[in-house]
Amino acid sequence: METNATYTESDLVELLKQRDNRAFNYLYEHYSAALYGIILPIVNDTEIANDVLQEVFLNIWRKIESYDPVKGRLFTWMLNIARNASIDTLRSKSFQNLRKNQPLGDNVNWSTNTQYQDADNIGLRKILDRLKDEQRTLVELAYFKGYTHEEIAAIEGIPLGTVKTRIRTALIQLRNYLQ
Amino acid sequence: MNVREYIASGIVESYVLGLASNEEMAEFERMCAAHQEVQLAREAFEKQLEMHSIKNGIQPPVHLQSKIFAELEVESDKLKTNGSFTVDQSAQSQSPVVTMQWWKYAAVASIVLLLGSIGLNIYYANRFNTYKGLYLASRTELANSNKALQIQQATFENSLDILRDTNMAVVKMKGMTASPESMATVYWDKRTKDVYLLVNNLPEPAAGKQYQLWALVNGQPVDAGMLNWDHANVVAPMKNIQQAQGFAITLENAGGTPVPQGTMYVLGNM
Repeated sequence: METNATYTESDLVELLKQRDNRAFNYLYEHYSAALYGIILPIVNDTEIANDVLQEVFLNIWRKIESYDPVKGRLFTWMLNIARNASIDTLRSKSFQNLRKNQPLGDNVNWSTNTQYQDADNIGLRKILDRLKDEQRTLVELAYFKGYTHEEIAAIEGIPLGTVKTRIRTALIQLRNYLQ
Repeated sequence: MNVREYIASGIVESYVLGLASNEEMAEFERMCAAHQEVQLAREAFEKQLEMHSIKNGIQPPVHLQSKIFAELEVESDKLKTNGSFTVDQSAQSQSPVVTMQWWKYAAVASIVLLLGSIGLNIYYANRFNTYKGLYLASRTELANSNKALQIQQATFENSLDILRDTNMAVVKMKGMTASPESMATVYWDKRTKDVYLLVNNLPEPAAGKQYQLWALVNGQPVDAGMLNWDHANVVAPMKNIQQAQGFAITLENAGGTPVPQGTMYVLGNM
């Protein structure tokens, strides 16, 4: 079913809270690609990205009551759900891989490899290349890997204050590239 | 810091992208409530990010939509079932009580059964809570060790990236007479001029002492940073040095010194 209706953001949120089917259809048609573009560069694998997108929509459905318009726009809220779900999945997956620790042998079935080949060319990653190396690494760790500033300071062996300043400067630059 | 500086500090972007700490988030929400400029700046970035994300979105596979909406259907049914359950309960409590002799016995019997059932409920709820506690504890423990491992792995990967980088000039520093067994290597990034230090072999410094790296620039030693001994097992980032003919390490009082005073341990030329 095509949904041609447009909603104001507050109307849309109200309908989502009532679990209105058309509102969710509208949400999917308008935002699924944007959210998929957030998820894919983090998880880097289309199969995993599909699972995460499903989880994200389930979470939106379940948690819409907790959305607070005072704290930000609906899309910002969804973006953060998508980013958190991606990072959580990535962490549990890499943990599983670490435990299995299987060497790549002849039995690897390359045809089922779902790794996304062009992940460097989408979303924020595309503009990440324009940053200085030192900034790129920090944004990579903070935004794409979900490390806290404290953890990044430990990983990189640089002071916490420097981490914070570099990330903030980098974000301001990224913002300018968005235009 | 005034409001304009606060807005320009990168906190807006940090908050919206979910990279701010809890304290920063709380402060930002207070600032939004107190100053409309802050809130407007946030909304402007949010809209910009939203437009960029929509414009640069990637269509998920077509089959995914029906799969997701089938899942939402299941969730919706769950909600309905729960809803109707509460309605039934209230309907029952309003139904008239018919007074009949046999019914009293039945009532007593059902109360006894109810009490028994409540007792069992409490017993199982307690057991459930015990296991839930155990489960949560082990899950937290697992998550923590997972995080620690990831940090360690990232640190080593980072070290390896530096060693592998073809743009690095490598300076082997050999042991001096004070310590002939000592050895350390400087990796100097020819593009960024960043300096990294790998300790091959240095004796552990005594308490209150710290190794200091020096770049030799036109015959003069220039401070290139202190070695944090905790990072001596990885490739440690040091100071940025624009040009140098060599590098050396001396043992100095912790915190370092503007000109070398302590014993030189290793030295190497570009």
